[in-house]
Amino acid sequence: MSAAASIAAMAAIEKSPGYWSGVLTRLRRDPVAMVALAVVLALILMAIFAPWVAPNDPYRSSMIRRLRPIGTPGFPLGTDELGRDMLSRLIYGARLSLLMGVMPVIIAFFVGSAIGITAGFVGGRVNTVLMRTIDVFFAFPSVLLAIALSGALGAGIFNGLLSLTVVFIPPIARIAESVTTGVRKIEYVEAARASGASGFTIVRVHVLGNVIGPIFVYATSLISVSLILASGLSFLGLGVKPPEPEWGLMLNTLRNAIYVQPWVAALPGVMIFITSVSFNLLSDGLRSAMDLKA
Amino acid sequence: MSAAQGMSAAPGGSLAAGPLLSVHGLTKHFPIRSGLLGRGSVVVRAVDGISFDVTEGETLGIVGESGCGKSTTARLLVDLITPDSGEIRLANRRLGADMTVRDLRRDVQMVFQDSYASLNPRLTMEDAIAFGPMINGMAERQATNLAHDLLSRVGLEPRRFAGRYPHELSGGQRQRVNIARALAFSPKVVILDEAVSALDKSVEAQVLNLLSDLKSELGLTYIFISHDLNVVRYMSDRVMVMYLGEVAEIGPVDSLYSNPAHPYTRALLAAMPSMDPDRRTEEAPLSGDPPNPINPPSGCRFHTRCAHAAPVCSSAIPNLSRLRAERHLAGCHMLVPGSGHPEAAAEARP
Amino acid sequence: MSTAMSTMMSTAMSEPLVDMRDVTVRFGGARPVHAVNGIDLRLNAGETLSILGESGSGKSVTLKTLLRILPEQRTAIGGTIRIAGVDVTALSGRALADHRGGVVSMIFQDPMLALDPVYTIGEQIAETVVRHEGVSRAEGMARALEMLTRVRIPSPERRLKSYPHEMSGGMRQRAMIALALVCRPKLLLADEPTTALDATVQIQILLLLRELQREFGMGMIFVTHDIGVAVEISDRVAVMYAGQFVETGAVRDIIRDPKHPYTRGLLAANLHGAHKGARLDAIPGAPPALDALPDGCPFAPRCPIAEAQCSEGLPPARVFGPQRQVRCLKA
Repeated sequence: MSAAASIAAMAAIEKSPGYWSGVLTRLRRDPVAMVALAVVLALILMAIFAPWVAPNDPYRSSMIRRLRPIGTPGFPLGTDELGRDMLSRLIYGARLSLLMGVMPVIIAFFVGSAIGITAGFVGGRVNTVLMRTIDVFFAFPSVLLAIALSGALGAGIFNGLLSLTVVFIPPIARIAESVTTGVRKIEYVEAARASGASGFTIVRVHVLGNVIGPIFVYATSLISVSLILASGLSFLGLGVKPPEPEWGLMLNTLRNAIYVQPWVAALPGVMIFITSVSFNLLSDGLRSAMDLKA
Repeated sequence: MSAAQGMSAAPGGSLAAGPLLSVHGLTKHFPIRSGLLGRGSVVVRAVDGISFDVTEGETLGIVGESGCGKSTTARLLVDLITPDSGEIRLANRRLGADMTVRDLRRDVQMVFQDSYASLNPRLTMEDAIAFGPMINGMAERQATNLAHDLLSRVGLEPRRFAGRYPHELSGGQRQRVNIARALAFSPKVVILDEAVSALDKSVEAQVLNLLSDLKSELGLTYIFISHDLNVVRYMSDRVMVMYLGEVAEIGPVDSLYSNPAHPYTRALLAAMPSMDPDRRTEEAPLSGDPPNPINPPSGCRFHTRCAHAAPVCSSAIPNLSRLRAERHLAGCHMLVPGSGHPEAAAEARP
Repeated sequence: MSTAMSTMMSTAMSEPLVDMRDVTVRFGGARPVHAVNGIDLRLNAGETLSILGESGSGKSVTLKTLLRILPEQRTAIGGTIRIAGVDVTALSGRALADHRGGVVSMIFQDPMLALDPVYTIGEQIAETVVRHEGVSRAEGMARALEMLTRVRIPSPERRLKSYPHEMSGGMRQRAMIALALVCRPKLLLADEPTTALDATVQIQILLLLRELQREFGMGMIFVTHDIGVAVEISDRVAVMYAGQFVETGAVRDIIRDPKHPYTRGLLAANLHGAHKGARLDAIPGAPPALDALPDGCPFAPRCPIAEAQCSEGLPPARVFGPQRQVRCLKA
């Protein structure tokens, strides 16, 4: 067959839409997921463009206008205990809060998937060694483990990120292992082995595509947990240090003002709540959109 | 293109004298984990020392009930499971000595029962078929062309089906794709493990016709595994009856169906629905379910369900003995004069 | 269209056990699925009818309609269904609960899914008796033991205390039959109960069902895709295609003189006595999608003898003798 003819033949082939474009189509039809996605995107944009969006300098304090209520002219969301603009601090706070919420999950997604897929696909003794090690970490409650690790490493953004990452690797590895073990037993993997494919090729072509979806969905559901844990660490003084704006830390420093300006003091909590709910709803929508009906 | 490869493979194989595929003493026991620490002594005797030959160009049917080891045998033949002992020879080359697993898999391909599970849901049909040739070094363009060739060969228009995903096809169409994928290597032997069992009857007939056509066009040899005795009779030249990991009887299809020698074969045939409303089955040939292959009965494994069982059956293992028809063997004490079975003399050959 | 037939039937017999007239079942949704499209069926007590068809023909939906276990919200049932003189489509609440398992009972292909894994066989059977007949638990257990003996489960006293996973496939199927029959239903619905079983076990279950049906005098509707099984179990056969009975008649007549081209194709595909090496007369193509049925005969696109008129309108059910109907213009 000549090259030209074969190209002509290829051009005439009816292509079905791929799996991921199908997922997108279904996701687009889910109003709740789309609203959640819009909120998440807005938060990310807000974090990136904070210097342009924020009306004031988030670090400039003033002893004379401390703890103004919501609706104060020039300070639409009031001021905090040092007289800094709440709106600007909340906008700038999205940077660190989202970083602390999303980064550990992304890193844990790669590390945990690698561990879990290896364990699941190789099986046998490798599986036992890897998964029992993972189980040791699993034995600790995640909050306790995060606190213990960042307590031992000392406060700071990097140490906070590191300890959260370590916390999220075991659950992701667990999911990755169980999904991979399931896929490994399906006949198309056997068929690929029967055609002489190496283990690495089988993982790349036949396993990854079929396991990455469920792992990804699970990982997105961890973002909200990570956000709350990160805020918790900062609240305890183990994560971000003052005067950096970060929602968890803001919640901590404002807690004495709860009787004076309860609404202002609650604002960082509201942000944490909105962000984590949006990530969760988006994750739910993604899960149903990825559900392939045969 | 694949036709040319298939044709060139055929005369090469026929040069070798003797059977194309030969299996001797093939055994696989699966240990069952017992207790917390390691493995206990409990094993599933899935396949227990079976031997058979397959001549080039013939179809060997394998029948038997669940747990008889027919699917394990199929997987052993393509080394998806590594046997504990026994040898596999293909065209006089022994696996592990003068033939690698890679060589074996190029010449022996398999089609599975579940057409949907056999296909990666994320791959289009052309990618699924081209995958094998590509990992064995074929260029992408060439592999895609081969895939299109094979699709039209199995009766699926490439223009319509090459870009489709498994869930968009019917069961019969998916099984055609699975057959095309197996043919991508121009194999000598294709193992069909219940490959038509999950299909509707009308679709099954279409696929059986396709399999017959491909066999004569490409000079293939089939190992056809099924629980449906009608289909096996239609497709096979010879039939092997398995029971609890052993060969109960093996022989040419006509001889085996008209003169079954092993009581189990007779029971299997008697259990087939009669198809005559005036002569319905009035008595079940066997009672109870097939025993568990974890602890198979001693001696002849069939003795616990056999109407002719005698003391010798539970103590001595019967060997396969030759019957009148050529290449027809069965493992039953009644067929061996002087075996100690009371009915042996009566059944002795003249 | 079948009024002539139905008046003839109703004058011939007083009140059949099952009387379905022009029954349709639709599943709602973006693209409504026409699962059952106007079936008529009469079954007398003590009679066994097989519904023979392939996957998606509507045979299982027909059974579920009779038991009223289809999801109410998205199912629209048309026509009339009477079982033992009761209008099944109008049942609700307590009366519906009595209908299911009391008057009509069903056995399934996979007993592992039909039996509850956390209760023993004895408890499950006894519970059914207690619920339907209001007897004591001890009485229920006694009845369970009696039924297990009846379906010839070896050492029934011990099996009363067994959980479903502790039994073999054939024994589980016997236990499910015991569960279905313990309240002496007037009608037993069987949805491919032997399909998943080994050949030597299948024939045991078929013989057992035949014997129990005779003994209890109940009516039985047996769904299967296997003509051989239909011949072994039933008096009459209804061949179903695309939600319609394309041919009904006594087993003998269907086997010896199939009139509908689909029935003929199915018989050929069974391969009983097929000559090795001869090409099979396979029915080409695949059944139509139930959300896009053609206007004419649904089998016309696959039919070897179809003519232009076959695609114009639905062929009427033509009567060939007292129990014989064929929906084919060319029969």
